[in-house]
Amino acid sequence: MNEPLKILNQSNELVSPELSDTVTLTTLDKAIDMLSTIVSPIANLARSNSVWPLTFGTSCCAIEMMCVGMSAFDISRFGSEVFRATPRQADLILTAGTITRKMASALITLYEQLPEPKYVIAMGACTITGGMFNDSYSVVQGVDRLIPVDVYLPGCPPRPEAILDALLKLQQKIRTENYAKRRLKGYDQRPVRYVDYDSGRPMEDLLAMAMEETKEVLTKQDNDNTK
Amino acid sequence: MATELTTTNLKTDEMIINMGPQHPATHGVLRLILKLDGEIVRHVEPVIGHLHRAQEWQGQNRTLFQYQALIDRVDYLSGMFTSLAFAHACEQIDGCEVPPRAQYLRALVCEMNRISSHLLWLGTFLIDLGALFGFPFYPFREREKLLDLFEEIAGQRMMFNYIRIGGVIRDPKPTWFEKVRKFTQEFPDRIDEYEAIVTQNPIVLKRTKDVGILDKQVAFDYGVSGPSLRGSGVNYDLRKVRPYGIYPDLNFDVPLGQNKGDTWDRYMCRILEMRQSNELIKQCLDKMPEGEILGKKQIAGLRIKAGEGFSAIESPRGVLGCYVISNGSDKAYRIKWRNPSFCNLAVLPSLLIGRPISDIMAIFGSIDVILPDVDR
Amino acid sequence: MTEKPAEKTEVKLEIGRFGKFLQDNGIKSKRQSDSNNVETIVIDAKDLEPAMRLLKTSSETTLNFLLCVSGVDYADKIDSVYHLWSYEHNDALVIKVELPKNNMTNTQTPCMSSISNFWPAANWHERETYDLVGIRYLKHPYLRRILNPWDWEGHPLRRDYKQLIDALNDKNPHSFR
Ligand code: SF4
Repeated sequence: MNEPLKILNQSNELVSPELSDTVTLTTLDKAIDMLSTIVSPIANLARSNSVWPLTFGTSCCAIEMMCVGMSAFDISRFGSEVFRATPRQADLILTAGTITRKMASALITLYEQLPEPKYVIAMGACTITGGMFNDSYSVVQGVDRLIPVDVYLPGCPPRPEAILDALLKLQQKIRTENYAKRRLKGYDQRPVRYVDYDSGRPMEDLLAMAMEETKEVLTKQDNDNTK
Repeated sequence: MATELTTTNLKTDEMIINMGPQHPATHGVLRLILKLDGEIVRHVEPVIGHLHRAQEWQGQNRTLFQYQALIDRVDYLSGMFTSLAFAHACEQIDGCEVPPRAQYLRALVCEMNRISSHLLWLGTFLIDLGALFGFPFYPFREREKLLDLFEEIAGQRMMFNYIRIGGVIRDPKPTWFEKVRKFTQEFPDRIDEYEAIVTQNPIVLKRTKDVGILDKQVAFDYGVSGPSLRGSGVNYDLRKVRPYGIYPDLNFDVPLGQNKGDTWDRYMCRILEMRQSNELIKQCLDKMPEGEILGKKQIAGLRIKAGEGFSAIESPRGVLGCYVISNGSDKAYRIKWRNPSFCNLAVLPSLLIGRPISDIMAIFGSIDVILPDVDR
Repeated sequence: MTEKPAEKTEVKLEIGRFGKFLQDNGIKSKRQSDSNNVETIVIDAKDLEPAMRLLKTSSETTLNFLLCVSGVDYADKIDSVYHLWSYEHNDALVIKVELPKNNMTNTQTPCMSSISNFWPAANWHERETYDLVGIRYLKHPYLRRILNPWDWEGHPLRRDYKQLIDALNDKNPHSFR
């Protein structure tokens, strides 16, 4: 009934080749795609003015994130006062605070649990590069090594006004988006890499190590057999 | 109490629940692995270290001058205290003199910091109890005022780097003292305001009275200190017991918990402490001498003599210790922090076991743990 | 490593109050130079448990506040340092246990007995010291890493620790200094 369609952008190129055979377009989707130029601005305006952040704070920056929600700075002027405790109801992660190797896997899980469309603001020097703890053995040098980031917000800690500024920047970004493409996974929405909770090392390294070990064992077996 | 709550014959299967590391009420990134029998907590295992930023490792790899800027992050709600502990330890080793004006300024900013830390605690504690929006606006309003004052002398809202080895770095303007005095005059009214909302509130009383009773002996065994210990009626305040700085010259008494050391006592203790700190600020302002503020030159190659020093001060969370071993170079050989939250958190399992799951956040909030202080 | 620990001048120091108390109860100790007028003694690893038990419970001393347990890695030895205070009096004592380090690599750990069985406060401190400095406390009820992930390799506060370099943290650790 629903033939798998190729997703093409305006200049007739495949948008994301590896996804094209998993996504099936319904007639409704096609209609939305057609209407997206009209729908997007309206939908985006609505979405950009109600970005709900997740209460994700690991350290010092989280206190400034709290301050921005309180009376003196009042983030609710921009429609983001509803700090959600569960990622399933949130649109935005403000990664407030240092991410360590032990915390990395939890952050990735949270990011994956956010429903589409999802955004990330890397708040504070620690989440941009590792900040003052850049060379500590246990610190991840920036969240962009784990998850894709939309807005970088420097400072240690950033002032509440700066947080509001970052939020406005994010709102601008949301307004320029194409709703249909976002829906069809035309944007980057996957974690960059996965981290093992028990050892704090990237999964790819552990896999490569395991592969190498099996290869060694196999070659040894082969050698033994040929002997 | 534990028996009362479980006298029913309804035996249920034990259930393991993972709480955290991302949880709005764990004040950061604490993970609790709970074993529940119905509603009752049977076993707790706190998993910490999600914010381990290797502060001690940084201490032995950065120069003392660089490290002074980092230690505000050990306990970011009371950065003045962590700086003070480190400065005291280094001054013990080095033997350098701290001018009296610097001593008074230190006490002054520390007491202000104590108030701001307790104010944030008050807001988050009420959030933990379920007052999600509304009440926290009140303490944060005063906290902003304090942060503005800090910003004026230190240039930063939270990471002050103001107290240095040998003194303090900047001499505030006379107008600043006026602003502080104005704050102290109106602050008692503000505390009355919070108390009118919270102290005799029937919901708060129901959630906190007789909940999480901390026995004196248990507290001693686990090395609990600070308001959590004083809530149990133990008169142990380092400002009195082992006075440091100018505290012998100041006149104050230590607020203690009145009944048995439950959550409400710990709450009350902190409220009284804020009033106490307010009085201390006034005394510091009255006695503030004139003169030098820095007894040691702040240069990039700052060095102290070789030796060992251990200093302990009364931070808003308890006894904050800093153990410095120096070998005379510009880096410390080893820095070890004795963090109050780390020790106070260790007592959490014994407070939680046998209580219903809804009490976890009330008890946890009342011992005022802050996670970077646990994990460093 | 190039850095050297503070050099101790070997002066024969008089026996202090707590040293005398321990001597009366048959435990030998060596006095070290004080820091900030707090008595510092060095005792043998095997004497630690009885000494601590005495100091904690005896009515003469009641050093019932264990402030912290710290590990210090020197060139030839690893120290386990105990800071004891009293909740009632103004007493203080620092106890050091020296564990020789015979060409130990970063993954090997010296052993000594734990005091967390009768002093619950020591439990987490000893876990932390095991994690960061790598002193294995025997008879500890639950000696696992506390701050680092459970499968972490090596002990970061040792002087010969090699930092893990991978996709998450790939800076040269000395690039800034
Ligand atoms: S950027 Fe600064 S304030 Fe923010 S988490 Fe890092 S150290 Fe703390």
